[in-house]
Amino acid sequence: MGILSIAIAFPRLFSSALPGLLAAAEGSGDAPAAPPVLAPGLILAMCILAGIGTLLLLPGRRDVSFRRIGGALAASAGLIFAALLLRNYSPSGIGIYFWVFAIVAILGAMRVITHPKPVYSALYFVLTVFASAGLFVLLDAEFMAAALVVIYAGAILITYVFVIMLAAQARAPGSTAEYVSEYDTVSREPLIAAVVGFALMGILLFVIFDRGGDLARNARVAVAPNSASAKREISPTLGATQQLGIFLFQQQTVQLELAGLLLTVSMVGAIVIARKRVISPEPVHSRLAAVTLAPATPISDDPYSIPVYGTDNPRQKAYPQT
Amino acid sequence: MDQQTLQYYLAVGAIMFCIGMIGFMTRRNMIVMFLCTELMFQGVAINLIAFSAWHNNFAGQAFVIYVLVIAAAEASLALGLVVLLFRQRNTLDADAWRELRG
Repeated sequence: MGILSIAIAFPRLFSSALPGLLAAAEGSGDAPAAPPVLAPGLILAMCILAGIGTLLLLPGRRDVSFRRIGGALAASAGLIFAALLLRNYSPSGIGIYFWVFAIVAILGAMRVITHPKPVYSALYFVLTVFASAGLFVLLDAEFMAAALVVIYAGAILITYVFVIMLAAQARAPGSTAEYVSEYDTVSREPLIAAVVGFALMGILLFVIFDRGGDLARNARVAVAPNSASAKREISPTLGATQQLGIFLFQQQTVQLELAGLLLTVSMVGAIVIARKRVISPEPVHSRLAAVTLAPATPISDDPYSIPVYGTDNPRQKAYPQT
Repeated sequence: MDQQTLQYYLAVGAIMFCIGMIGFMTRRNMIVMFLCTELMFQGVAINLIAFSAWHNNFAGQAFVIYVLVIAAAEASLALGLVVLLFRQRNTLDADAWRELRG
């Protein structure tokens, strides 16, 4: 951990310990507009390190110390990565908040996939949602940040936690030890998944840091002339949320209605999928007829005189005595 | 917003997407697998919002709204299916449905 703190505090000092990688990082900076922030070899090394760390960190039949080593490896890869990015820190665009939110989001994401208990995974996912909502605020998307917190952390995650509780295995009677099922503690094909996932991550990061500048510049040139309809500057006095609403309801009306329709359809589908099929002994309409054709409630002060329809259980019909 | 800022945000989105993908491949609990797909949605949403700020228009944010709608629909349907499957086998292990493999 001492090396890590040095890496955070003195990025230049630490990166001088990697002369070959550093030379690669600074040698390839001959692009005219913007030199690549990170060399491909550096990205590859970080991804391999983080991949080994994740491999050890994933739940499996391993000792706790191995998981600690894995966690330290993955965290050190992430921190070295962040330190190397901080080395090329440009004070114009990115502040300390970005680093805090990004690190919290990625650490939370790692814990989501490595924690053996599903409830804790869901709670770490809430942490990730909050951190990415912070990133959205930094990107001037306040409404999306609020919607993310309300929809994800408020609605979807509650549903997840609810289903996790519903499907929780009963622990053995008499044992106070916390029960973690076998399919949560042993992961499936961690080696292949880590190799594939971190290969993809390496390629994505390489594209973003090496070619992303060109791609983004081209895209900006291509989009700029015909984007007058979707400009942010509808009116300088309106806030970003108002402008987003105007954009949605003036230019995206059909899509918005389709989104609402999709939500309705999925709600109906979820009800149809998850309902418990009850086989009723008698046809439904005869019971309904018995309820609707029942005599009117007599007007009286005595609560016991009110008939209770819809049940045949006399205990439910009885007025509570207390 | 300069180009380096965009790159950093895109990197965060890519890392979260890949972490979610690894989780989807390795975890065997069906609920956690769907949680990992939500993680992938998050990465994509960060990308979209970053490009929305970069291009200075609202198309990216509108896309994120649709992504949220799809995520909500997916969560409700997927969790309904998980409850159904749990009732059938009394376990959340995805390997219990191994015979569905082609």
